Amino acid sequence: MADVVVIGVGNRMMGDDAAGPVVIDRLAGRPPESVALVESVGDATHLLDTWRDARLAVVVDAVVSGGVPGSIHRIDGKGGFPSSWRSASTHLIGVVEAIDLGGAVDMLPDELVVFGIEIGKVEPGVNLSPEVDAAVDEVVEMVFAELSVIGNR
Amino acid sequence: MTNAREISVEYLARVEGEGSMRVKVVDDQIEDVEFSIFEPPRFFEAFMRGRPHTEAPDITARICGICPVAYQMSAVHAMEDAFGVTVGGSLRELRRLLYCGEWIESHALHIYLLHAPDFLGYESGVHMAADHREVVEQGLRLKKAGNSIVALVGGREIHPINVRVGGFYRTPTKRELESLVPELEWAKDAAVATIRFVSGFNFPEADMDFEFVSLSHADEYPFNEGRIVSSKGLDLAISEYNNYFVEQHVERSNALHSQIRERGAYHVGPLARYANNFEKLTPFAQEMAFDAGLGTMVANPFKSIVVRAVEVLYAVEESLRIIDGYEQPPEPYVAYRAVEGEGHGATEAPRGLLYHRYRIHDDGRIADAQIVPPTAQNQLTIESDLRFVLERHLHLPDDELSWVLEQSIRNYDPCISCATHFLDLTVERG
Repeated sequence: MADVVVIGVGNRMMGDDAAGPVVIDRLAGRPPESVALVESVGDATHLLDTWRDARLAVVVDAVVSGGVPGSIHRIDGKGGFPSSWRSASTHLIGVVEAIDLGGAVDMLPDELVVFGIEIGKVEPGVNLSPEVDAAVDEVVEMVFAELSVIGNR
Repeated sequence: MTNAREISVEYLARVEGEGSMRVKVVDDQIEDVEFSIFEPPRFFEAFMRGRPHTEAPDITARICGICPVAYQMSAVHAMEDAFGVTVGGSLRELRRLLYCGEWIESHALHIYLLHAPDFLGYESGVHMAADHREVVEQGLRLKKAGNSIVALVGGREIHPINVRVGGFYRTPTKRELESLVPELEWAKDAAVATIRFVSGFNFPEADMDFEFVSLSHADEYPFNEGRIVSSKGLDLAISEYNNYFVEQHVERSNALHSQIRERGAYHVGPLARYANNFEKLTPFAQEMAFDAGLGTMVANPFKSIVVRAVEVLYAVEESLRIIDGYEQPPEPYVAYRAVEGEGHGATEAPRGLLYHRYRIHDDGRIADAQIVPPTAQNQLTIESDLRFVLERHLHLPDDELSWVLEQSIRNYDPCISCATHFLDLTVERG
């Protein structure tokens, strides 16, 4: 797998849960080709395999932690998560669990940044709500900045 | 004086989907057991109306992140039934191979990371990894062997995109498939080790009088084709599904509860497949099942973890057999013409029978769709198991009681919504 990888976690058919994959869509073509853009349903083993050999992995996921829909969290993935934070994606071992598991079996990237986009209720649908749509645009820029920083190191 | 206690657990771990369980106990009498699920297939049924039939495999694959292949397979078989298309030879074998991949990955995930922690007393697979790292690594590697099949045959590891009505967009070369063999040889040994590992767990006594419903095929352990049979005498064509099974609305849930007409609850999944098709397992898988102490039928849902492990072994052996005999077909799919009509498909998802029905307009668009996922079919059975377990464990303190109830839900590897993973668990005593 690539040295630098961006992973958008979510389900495109579940309304705002598509936030992660849509970030990947909107990033396409912007970072250098050496950066892998990967869509994921959040399956833990897929995440572990995708990021294990990376120098930097940036993960974008929808999150429900009681915040205002559209708000954005940026978390150092190796620094622990607030207890209220749980991944809202369409899968059962979510991003947080995958990170814990990766820690236990030494399958984490050197650097791991997680962006959480706060969403409301997860309901089937193919459109993002306006708040989440705007947050996605913002996260695209934040991820791009993240990639530029490591590019200059 | 009434004995008033109330427990509320907000999040049922290690169960996919959103749903809730409510248990009401008054003076040590069980008043009510409710297991509710939120079910997105209804949305998908509506969403597909009016869309080209060719989109159904890819759209329904997104209902579940863990079993997209099952949704694709039931969809393409239903379309092919409507159009009178038969897919045979190497294309049929490739579909079985793809399905083997999904069983291996789904079962390995459930056995190692979700279910084994229950028996070993860990809160989660992550906690278990701290003490049993090699075990968890073995599970992850076994799962990856399944993922690799899905990635190669399905075109992508997650949400495979290579499946179409009539076959595939592209078929792999023999050499490509052979690249999977060394890891599958390892996986065969790992599957045997898995059976030995899980059969050593302590299982509560819980033999049930289930009606096991699954596909059954004359020559093979079922994935894609066959008749629908039950351990109590049902034997019907897939197209007759709605004559024998009915989905009923239950007020407390968005979901429809499936029942056998005028008979009630039934059980789908590994235990049902195993009971109805034991003799179709490979001789080696049968031998390993006997070694593990299983009979030709297992009626204790807590032992489903052992049956899943036997099915992993079967799926690995079947993959090796298919790859060995594979010849790349001249065309990746069977050409067909869409006609007006109705088609039915049922295949064996890792969690059990998955039924699809579509009516197609003469221009190939979908007129209407019906999807009955395995967890909806098991819902009534899960409730009755919960009642059984509750009766025997009422003396436990609330946290232990919750745990044993959660465990009996996990016996079904339920894909509760095939969606978000929030589950509110409430035990009310009072």
